[in-house]
Amino acid sequence: MRLASLLLLSLSAAGCALDPVLFKTREERRNLDCYRLAQADAAARFPGQVPPQPARQIAGENTDVLTCSTRYLRVDERPARDEAILSTLSAQVAGLAETAAALVAPGARWHVDAFYPSLPVAQKIAVAARTSLAERGLEVSDRVPTLTAGDVAVLATLPQSEVYRVACARSFSTSVMGPDDVFLGLMIVDPRETALHAGLCQRGAWRWLP
Amino acid sequence: MRRVVLACALALAATGRAEEAIDPREQQLELLRAEVASEVQLQAAELIDELVYGWTLRAPFDVDTGVVLAGVSVPVSLGTGLEAYLETHLAGLVTRNPRTHLQLVHCPSCSAWVVHSGATGTVVSRGFDAPEALAKAGLSSGAKHALFLDFEAEGSSLVLRARLTTLDASLRIVSARTLSTATSAPAMLRESERLTSVAEARKSYLEALGGRGLFLVPVRIGVRSYAPGTQTSINTTPFLWVSAGLEAAFSQARAWTASMNAAFSWLPQSHVAVMAQGRVARLLTGNSTSLTWPDLYGFVGAGVLFGQGRGMLIFRNTNPTIDDVLNTNTNNEPRATLGILTVGLELRVKNRIGVSVFLETLPVIETTDNIGTYVDVLVRFQSFGVEVSFCF
Repeated sequence: MRLASLLLLSLSAAGCALDPVLFKTREERRNLDCYRLAQADAAARFPGQVPPQPARQIAGENTDVLTCSTRYLRVDERPARDEAILSTLSAQVAGLAETAAALVAPGARWHVDAFYPSLPVAQKIAVAARTSLAERGLEVSDRVPTLTAGDVAVLATLPQSEVYRVACARSFSTSVMGPDDVFLGLMIVDPRETALHAGLCQRGAWRWLP
Repeated sequence: MRRVVLACALALAATGRAEEAIDPREQQLELLRAEVASEVQLQAAELIDELVYGWTLRAPFDVDTGVVLAGVSVPVSLGTGLEAYLETHLAGLVTRNPRTHLQLVHCPSCSAWVVHSGATGTVVSRGFDAPEALAKAGLSSGAKHALFLDFEAEGSSLVLRARLTTLDASLRIVSARTLSTATSAPAMLRESERLTSVAEARKSYLEALGGRGLFLVPVRIGVRSYAPGTQTSINTTPFLWVSAGLEAAFSQARAWTASMNAAFSWLPQSHVAVMAQGRVARLLTGNSTSLTWPDLYGFVGAGVLFGQGRGMLIFRNTNPTIDDVLNTNTNNEPRATLGILTVGLELRVKNRIGVSVFLETLPVIETTDNIGTYVDVLVRFQSFGVEVSFCF
């Protein structure tokens, strides 16, 4: 059974708040995600737990509600780096997709792939990016440009800073990617980091997104 | 010090106001519901409900189109049992909602690993990633599109990313949508055959929550007709009744209810009558009332009727004479007091409105023929009635 949300009423009229988090253990608190909502929204979403907004507050006084929910997966259930990436996946990918879309002229055919040590997480990142680009009205393909085994063997010998640039040039020179194709790659550069980076490959030229 | 005491008093007062505004029963129901509905599989099903509901409003295809359900991936570290459940849920929804114009196609080779060797090399991939290889091998299902669903847990939000791709060399995404649970609000658990928006589902839920008190005040308008007797020339006129009372349920399921009613009937030049009646009803269409479908109850009841006026002559144990009929002396009007046993059925919609039919037996006049018999099964049912009820 998943724990239901806890509600913490911050009543500005009283100037103080009830804090059910006080009755939680430290581990339980670490697994809470909290959002602040207007009381009217909270009353609609949590009927029976949050009272309707009194008339005098509708007239002008603002109150809000802090709703704390338990995470679907506890913080120690997945590797810490995976958890950090996946917990912020939507926000990180949306930002990178928006930047990438702004740098490429309309009409391009987008291909997306992610490079991450864990294959399931890499697929999640790639799917999120593809979906985000497609929702922006761009032409996106599920097909990932693949180089030959010989090319991959050569790329494996290169330093990581050179891999993407060389792979991009090779994809264009071998016609794996055409002039209308754009490749968006998402990756972590340092194995210790939890922020995604992205680069664009177009007409054989690789550039990192700002 | 005085300011601290004042602040605490204000805080307690504000807290008290907040708690008073919440019905404890609603709070308990909501907490219980939230516990059940916040299960991850229900939240995932909720997202699929919303996805299919969106398709019913704006179908991805103009005509019925075969689509392969190519993949359902669940949050990293959750099991594949969830995938099977979600696949089944989606298939059920799409089948029950033809407005989506999606027709799921079975394609086992699409999700199988295929090895394709060509002039450019050998490629190992899933079938849906190499549809041209499937086509060459004669394993294509004929479907031109594939549907992918990807779920991921992002903190306390569950996110669904759905995309429809073409099953050709381009693998072009023709439709994509991202849906997320809204700040972990409990799943609405919508009915699959009549999908509604979240707002509508929430409104229905609140109405149902508000209408689920243990006590109701039914107001009934009905008519009772009595079978014509064989030994009298007096034709019985139907009695129009208006009643009001109190109905109590034994639980929120309302499987068993009991009610007490007081009824009044009046017909000029005929009668004035009052009746007190009690009923016990049992839900026949399940163990709890439905929020979406009418409920059928069976009930038995007993009551006492008292009336006076010419119309009450038929309730006597003797055949009425011409003197009885012509007697206009109001001080000597015929009077009758009799007991009534009732059996019947009531069809109710959301415990708001209902219609019932019933048969009644009048044990006191079992031996006379002033009133005939409609049905004779173990006991004689001399009266047949219909009621419309409104519950408040």
